[in-house]
Amino acid sequence: MLINIFLFGILIMAFMMVAAKRVSALIDGFRIQSFFLFMLMFVLAYSADSTELYIVTALLFVTKVILIPVMLRRVVKRIKVNEDLGLSVNPTVSIFAAIVLAYLAYAFTGMIAGIPAFFVSLSITLIGLFIMIFRMKAIAQIVGLLVMESGVFLTAASISGGMPFIVEIAIFFDVFLAVIILGIFVYKINSLFTHIDIDKLTELKG
Amino acid sequence: MQTITGSRALGIINALAHFALCVASCLLASHVLISGPVAFRNFFYIDALSVFFILTISIVNFAAAAYSIGYIAKDTAEGTIKERKAKAYYGLFNLFAFTMYFVTVVNNLGMLWVAIEMTTLVSAFLVGFYNNKKSIEAAWKYIIICSVGITLALLGTILFYYTASRDGGVTSLNWTDMIAAAGRLDPKVLKIAFLFILVGYGTKAGIAPMHTWLPDAHSQALAPISALLSGVLLKTAIYAIIRFTSIINICIGTSYSDNLFIFFGLLSLGVSAAFVIVQKDIKRLLAYSSVEHIGVITFGLGAGGALGLFGALFHVFNHAVTKSVMFFAAGNVVKKYKTSDMHVIRGVISAMPFTGIMLMIGAFALTGSPPFSVFFSEIMILISGFGQGLYLQSALFLAFIAVIFGAVVYHIGTIAFGKKPDDLPAAGEPLSGKIAFIFLLVFICVLGFKLPAVFSGLINSAIEIIRGA
Repeated sequence: MLINIFLFGILIMAFMMVAAKRVSALIDGFRIQSFFLFMLMFVLAYSADSTELYIVTALLFVTKVILIPVMLRRVVKRIKVNEDLGLSVNPTVSIFAAIVLAYLAYAFTGMIAGIPAFFVSLSITLIGLFIMIFRMKAIAQIVGLLVMESGVFLTAASISGGMPFIVEIAIFFDVFLAVIILGIFVYKINSLFTHIDIDKLTELKG
Repeated sequence: MQTITGSRALGIINALAHFALCVASCLLASHVLISGPVAFRNFFYIDALSVFFILTISIVNFAAAAYSIGYIAKDTAEGTIKERKAKAYYGLFNLFAFTMYFVTVVNNLGMLWVAIEMTTLVSAFLVGFYNNKKSIEAAWKYIIICSVGITLALLGTILFYYTASRDGGVTSLNWTDMIAAAGRLDPKVLKIAFLFILVGYGTKAGIAPMHTWLPDAHSQALAPISALLSGVLLKTAIYAIIRFTSIINICIGTSYSDNLFIFFGLLSLGVSAAFVIVQKDIKRLLAYSSVEHIGVITFGLGAGGALGLFGALFHVFNHAVTKSVMFFAAGNVVKKYKTSDMHVIRGVISAMPFTGIMLMIGAFALTGSPPFSVFFSEIMILISGFGQGLYLQSALFLAFIAVIFGAVVYHIGTIAFGKKPDDLPAAGEPLSGKIAFIFLLVFICVLGFKLPAVFSGLINSAIEIIRGA
């Protein structure tokens, strides 16, 4: 029951992020979604009473709820980026697309394993991909990637009871490193191009 | 006698170290061949397939390290990069090499994923090394597109694990455990999981239509790094795909993966043929040629049979060494002419005879002319294709290869011959710059005439692993 509420929260936050028009709203959306994910993991860890799951949950909290959003906010502040997300698809159409993606995930997961968590995880993986493709700010692509990754993480937790411990830790480390490196590149893009609009990076063709 | 200092000294030490690694991997290869796979605490697992890739990586790494000496020293001398950055280069070079080796030796498929993501993160800095608009744009696209791809691959890995733990009773992600339980896995889940794996790692391998990052990244990276990206980095992703293929082949037979491989192989060949014809930039030309060769390898994996698989693995090696020669030569040309536009570059053979000749030999070798090694691996794949009754597919394969042969030889011929610009001095090249070329050329020529028994033994054992024997 509790788990279903948190799953619902995760899915709703994905929709909120699709509808967001401003960079800060997107980052906030991600933070709240990560918080729901954390609560869900906490419940799982509590019911399984597993130290390893507690550690994974704690890592999730530290990286995705605290460090990464703080870091993204700092990047946004430092480069004084224009807050507008640069929607190439407007919010109404985006929401509609997200609903279609969620339905596809529902139909697809029904074929493999009809577990609600699996449906939600695949939905947000697809929605994360949607954000990456249709939002033109470099920061939005980072957030989209993180949402995708959260989706995959949730898939692992929901259908196979999580990955082996060492792998889980390594993946956390990896994702965190990826965000730092992407952040560095955002700075570089900003200092060379004086903007971070990906659709305006067109030096390379053919 | 001038003293050797700074970045040059660092480069020489680096090259010597990589030569030592080359020798070590040969020893490892003979050890694995004689006494079977090496395992360490279930975490590392090195069998013939791993060793084959390790050998390829170490050879290209050594060549790239040797070529880097002059390349980086020249960059520092000209002031393109600072001395401090040259040091950073060698640091990143070794980190990159380490992550690639790591991919081939881990047993755990989750760690394999982590290792491949690490190769992306490290090499992104090498792609964006010059810190100009083009290279940063290329690095961003590279890291973003490959990260998306690899996230899908992680999903595929999890689905593999899902059926392995539910149906196979496996509690680890170790490849050795998965393969032991392969027969009990759920075919339906495996099919879907394999699609994610193929698209995910295929993005990293440069299989069309997920190749879009590749021409940008390969053309903007430093020449020795382009050789590593093209020659071996793509192959590490192929290696990952092969590991998963061997699991599903045991469970549901080879026809499912074969059809996918043939489809994506031909698509890659077709896409690269179209772009190679109209290409203006020499490094992008070579990058699209990498898409072609990845297509050849995938087609070979799909054409199946012992001969097709032998051709595919043999091609992994041949492409690695041949493409490296081409990127090294192109690197010299771009440095000399200060442009990579093939409409401007003329008379390479008269301006820089050694590089010019290497470029011509490389172009013929790369496009599969006899008697060079690429010809033989492509012929094996083709014979296998016809032998399996894939007449239409094999004919298409041949047609694309022929088109690319014509286009590449034409493009490279135009820049190699012709009249060199008057203001460009013709100058010989120092011997140190030639070592890398000659080292690789030995493999390209010798393997065309005779396959050492050790080498073919290694490939044959690797094939048994792929076929799930």
